[in-house]
Amino acid sequence: METSRDFFDPNSRTTERRPNRRCYASEGSSASAACTTLPCKADPRSLNTKNRSIVFAAMALPPVFLRSIEASSFSTWLRESDSPFAFYFILLFHTFGLALLVGGNAVMDLRLLGVERSIPLAPLKRIFPIMWAGFAINAASGLLLLIAYPTKALTNPLFYTKLLLIAFAVWVMTKLKSRVFDDSSLDEAAMVARGRPLAKWSLVLWIAAITAGRLLAYTYKYITYPC
Amino acid sequence: MSLAHLHLLLNHFPIIGTAVGLGIFIASFATKSDELREAGLVVLAAVALLALPTFFSGIGAQGAISKDPTVSSALIERHEGAATLALLFMEITGALALARLWQRRRASTSLAILIFAFVTAGLMARVGNTGGDIRHTEIRTQDSGISAVIHHFEPAPGKLRDLILINKWWWAFMMDLHFIGLALLIGTVGILNIRMLGFAKAFPIAPLHRLMPWALAGFGVNTLTGVLAFIGMPNYYTFDIAFWLKILAILLLGLNAAAFYLTETFRSVEQLGPGEDAPPRAKFFAATSLVLWFAVIALGRYIQSYSGTIEPQ
Repeated sequence: METSRDFFDPNSRTTERRPNRRCYASEGSSASAACTTLPCKADPRSLNTKNRSIVFAAMALPPVFLRSIEASSFSTWLRESDSPFAFYFILLFHTFGLALLVGGNAVMDLRLLGVERSIPLAPLKRIFPIMWAGFAINAASGLLLLIAYPTKALTNPLFYTKLLLIAFAVWVMTKLKSRVFDDSSLDEAAMVARGRPLAKWSLVLWIAAITAGRLLAYTYKYITYPC
Repeated sequence: MSLAHLHLLLNHFPIIGTAVGLGIFIASFATKSDELREAGLVVLAAVALLALPTFFSGIGAQGAISKDPTVSSALIERHEGAATLALLFMEITGALALARLWQRRRASTSLAILIFAFVTAGLMARVGNTGGDIRHTEIRTQDSGISAVIHHFEPAPGKLRDLILINKWWWAFMMDLHFIGLALLIGTVGILNIRMLGFAKAFPIAPLHRLMPWALAGFGVNTLTGVLAFIGMPNYYTFDIAFWLKILAILLLGLNAAAFYLTETFRSVEQLGPGEDAPPRAKFFAATSLVLWFAVIALGRYIQSYSGTIEPQ
């Protein structure tokens, strides 16, 4: 029987937790070239600049900042505990939030784009609290996931892309609320006319945000601070 | 109960069920009975759902007998290939049956259902035969005639697995689709359930209910990507208690939907307008649906951390 867990297991924590060997300095040597973007120790003597102290502080900041979060007992517990209420519990709430936030948006967007026109538009305003609840759940659970793996997220450009996509998508969401649903002078036709372009952007941005989030599991360079 | 036991228990349902469903469906044309036609379609859809755990339990059954030197791994692989092809046709048949149940008055899908159910019934017979051949030397025969032709179309399990694991970006894409399908499914099912529970009563129920094909589309995408993921890493999922509980929750959702639609409950809410309250029975099914769907999400998320929680036999 083949052992798929060892062979190919992109989802498994067994591989997610496996440190990136390329980025580990072996005993007595410095980190390999692949890792030079993350300073292990800032060395002021190597800096030939007037603003030596500022550059030194800037170089010292990421290791101090990221390492101290990772070394905290809470971060360690989230990351390493075998309790079902640690990492995966947070992750599951992150998915619940996704379902509420993107699920609600999907229904609203589809309706504005012409699916099932017999659904009255105005009461769809009632979905906004559900979507905001989903957003709150995901902001909170996202923060906890970030505390668990700060280096993994913050050294991946895709993480910032994801935050940007979410920021745009939420901005579109607030526009939908203020321009389409809060304006009681609009009839359904006018609501659809205003809402359509926003709904298109909303769908595209949320799908892109989910995609960016999913890809974080496959594109990280470091799992924890390498040195 | 072991996975091998589960496999031997479940494997009768897709084989006999497809034939029964097809038989009832054909009989409905002779008798021109709408009830009979719906019964046949419901059987086909139910069997398509039950075929999933039947398929998934096969790897566990394989593990239970593969140490026995008298068991031929070639015969097991032939059975697995046959099962994979049959499952594909079974799920298409199930999807068509649900589409036909949804349309009610339009008959355009009937011919397609007849063809697919007929082919599925034949493929299922072959799955049963090749499965029986693994242990029953007394019925074992070489592939010849029609079974040799069918065998030509059956994917070799190892090759299919390699294809699915061809690179991590394909895998990432499947998982991405699985999450997008999730959002579509929960959004559309959720708003209908919330309305039935008595929140957002400004909505009439009928238009929200017409979103259900979108929910089924989400479910279809997730069934496809889920089955492909299973085929890619069968041992990862097979020996995982969270995976099996997720499948159980999905089967219970099927039961919940059947109880909702096949009793008078659906008719009692179908025509409810703005502000009208759904009867308690409908609220019960709506609550069950919401709880179970969120349980499916939760259990899906726990698959990673519970891999290896079931001991291979």
